[in-house]
Amino acid sequence: MRKRAILAFMLDRPGVLNKVSLLIRKKMYNVDTLTVCRSRIPGVSRMTITLEEKDEAKVTQVIKQLEKFTEVISAKELDTDHSYWREVAIVKLEVDVAHLDAFHGRYNFEILEQKSEDIHLLQVSGSTRNIDAFLDELGQEHIIEIARTGVTAMEK
Amino acid sequence: MTGKQLLLKALKDRGVRHIFGYTGGAIMPIFDEMEKLDIFKFVMSRHEQGAAFMAQGMSRASLSTDAPQIGVCMSTSGPGAMNLVTGVADAHMDSVPMMAITGQVATGVIATDAFQESDVVGVMMPISKQTYMPLSAEEIEKTIHEGFYVATTGRGGPILVDIPKDVQNQQVGEDYQFDVKTYRPQLPGYFYTPTPEREPIQRAIELINKSERPVIFCGHGVINSNAGELLQELAEKVNIPVAFTLHGLSAMPADHPLSLGMMGMHGTVEANRVIMEADLLISFGMRFDDRVTGKLSEYAQNADVIHVEIDPSEIDKNVKTSVAINADVYRTLHVLLGDPMLTYQPRRRWWDKIAVFRKVMADDLEMEIEKGLGDDNKLLMKSIIHQLSKLTEGRDLIVPDVGQHQMMAARFYNYQTKNSWFASGGAGTMGCSLPMAIGVKLARPEERVWSISGDGGFQMNAQELGTIMEQKIDLKIIILNNGHLGMVRQWQTFFFDGRYAGTPMQSPDFGLLAKAYGIPHRRVEKLQDVAPALQEAIDHCGAIVLEFICDPSEVILPMVPSGGGFDTMIIKHPRTEAAKNEGEAA
Ligand SMILES: Cc1ncc(C[n+]2csc(CCOP(=O)(O)OP(=O)(O)O)c2C)c(N)n1
Repeated sequence: MRKRAILAFMLDRPGVLNKVSLLIRKKMYNVDTLTVCRSRIPGVSRMTITLEEKDEAKVTQVIKQLEKFTEVISAKELDTDHSYWREVAIVKLEVDVAHLDAFHGRYNFEILEQKSEDIHLLQVSGSTRNIDAFLDELGQEHIIEIARTGVTAMEK
Repeated sequence: MTGKQLLLKALKDRGVRHIFGYTGGAIMPIFDEMEKLDIFKFVMSRHEQGAAFMAQGMSRASLSTDAPQIGVCMSTSGPGAMNLVTGVADAHMDSVPMMAITGQVATGVIATDAFQESDVVGVMMPISKQTYMPLSAEEIEKTIHEGFYVATTGRGGPILVDIPKDVQNQQVGEDYQFDVKTYRPQLPGYFYTPTPEREPIQRAIELINKSERPVIFCGHGVINSNAGELLQELAEKVNIPVAFTLHGLSAMPADHPLSLGMMGMHGTVEANRVIMEADLLISFGMRFDDRVTGKLSEYAQNADVIHVEIDPSEIDKNVKTSVAINADVYRTLHVLLGDPMLTYQPRRRWWDKIAVFRKVMADDLEMEIEKGLGDDNKLLMKSIIHQLSKLTEGRDLIVPDVGQHQMMAARFYNYQTKNSWFASGGAGTMGCSLPMAIGVKLARPEERVWSISGDGGFQMNAQELGTIMEQKIDLKIIILNNGHLGMVRQWQTFFFDGRYAGTPMQSPDFGLLAKAYGIPHRRVEKLQDVAPALQEAIDHCGAIVLEFICDPSEVILPMVPSGGGFDTMIIKHPRTEAAKNEGEAA
């Protein structure tokens, strides 16, 4: 299986998200991540969908059918070699501050708040793999809660 | 002006003259307004599904006339709207432009599970080309015009407009303005490319010129872009045979010497064998549906594929193309025909081969048609269709239902009139014929229209006899009654060891039923009565029901088993096969 990111620009109209998710369900994918935000153009949203598919032709099909929606202005695949994929995670964890020191410099994180002596809220950003590695190294046993944004991506 | 007035104004501006529908609480304001005006002919169906198919019939039949009319159907919210679903889904599968307008509960109570509230937009979204819910009277005119634009451009499809009751009644503001003449939909995400590009056209011409065993495919897009004559001209110019999809039938005369007839699951031997051996498929306006291709991995393995198609998402979907031409079929044919590089070639070997393919079943079929009778001396559907074709010289409009009789009508009627065949293909919706034929007749009142159903499908929308009675629709209705759900029975014969689960069917006395609606009825059991009954229907002014008692063991052949390749095509009834083997053994 290969992770794919599809970037689409679409009119910000009610029901568009519904259509996109109906299509993806109809094609029998399970969406990995889906992020939507405003674009530079008023009334136009930017959507990044990641899903797993090894067959190139099938991804092309999804893109063509996305483009078929009246509201979708353009859609294309962003491959990992030629684009940046990034996520942000907010993590609540129980850990010594000293434990965190070891991570400085290697990961892009920032402590948002120290809630008590051992409880911290921190924010980490980077590629999906980078965040996964950070969390693993931190030790899953320290983690109380995680919120991740899902992937947003841009061509290099 | 109010929302409902603007709605009707927009429909009128779009050339709508007929509205098919059924009333109810949430659509009453619009019906009331319609009653005050004297613009539309309102046709009340007896079930909303009927209204949706009538609208389809109107769109399909009128598209080849000087005054195309997009079919419009209306229903109330909740159950009324849900009853439209099948007809809308069917239009979506068959790329038929139409507009379904539904009343919705008032905006103030939407999403409270109000009385007769359904999320109609949510339900219709995956089976419509576009859905709308205008939330103010100001949006209505724009919505209708945009809807018509989207329905009729590019690949056609159904549009849903769900209008809350309060929006129907709402007054527009004093400064409301809308100019039909200058209005252009603002749809930055909606593209279609009618004009073909030069480069693929040139590559297509090269492939055509160098091909030894080419075949042209005529799909629904040829009918929808009114390009039958051009397709015929092209085929004649380059001397290439033409095979038809179910929806491509009637684009050119069925008995044209270049015609191979229908392709696919119940296609002719010649069409399917030609495809198996072809080195080039030149396909116009079709989508390589599984009923057309059979097993994809074995489909036309030695052929290059030129695919002319207005919907880019159909290109390379099922069959990999060598040359993709994403454009309107009519315009592409026009460009191809104007190109002096395109040459005529005799391709004598190819035509010799085709002559052999044509003979494979010809004698058997001719004998069966000639005999006209099957088991227990019951009538054969193919023979009835053949006689109908002869009597009407292949000129009439045919609206089949879904099943064996549909395939018989596809194969054995000799279509001469362009755009004269209206079938439910992609969805295969039983019950479509009777209501769709009403729409067809209203669209083309000068032509004779035959609704042909099985006993099963007829009973799915038999209530529309009421509409026929009330509107005095001159429809010739044929029921090919074999006492079974014939097509499913055929599968059971071939693939389920002849266990007929859920297919024998008791029917009412169709004579009494017709009588109840004041429609004459003839029951025909004998071969010699077939032609006179058909002639009586032709001579009779007004609706008539002809019921033919048919042999349930008749099968439509050839048949490519579902999911099989063309080499698995069955051309003999298992019974005759068994008899033959026994004979050989003895
Ligand atoms: C609404 C619907 N339900 C079920 C089917 C499945 N189906 C396809 S053909 C067929 C049998 C049709 O029987 P009948 O109308 O008597 O026509 P015949 O095949 O005998 O000509 C059935 C049940 C269908 N196509 N549509």
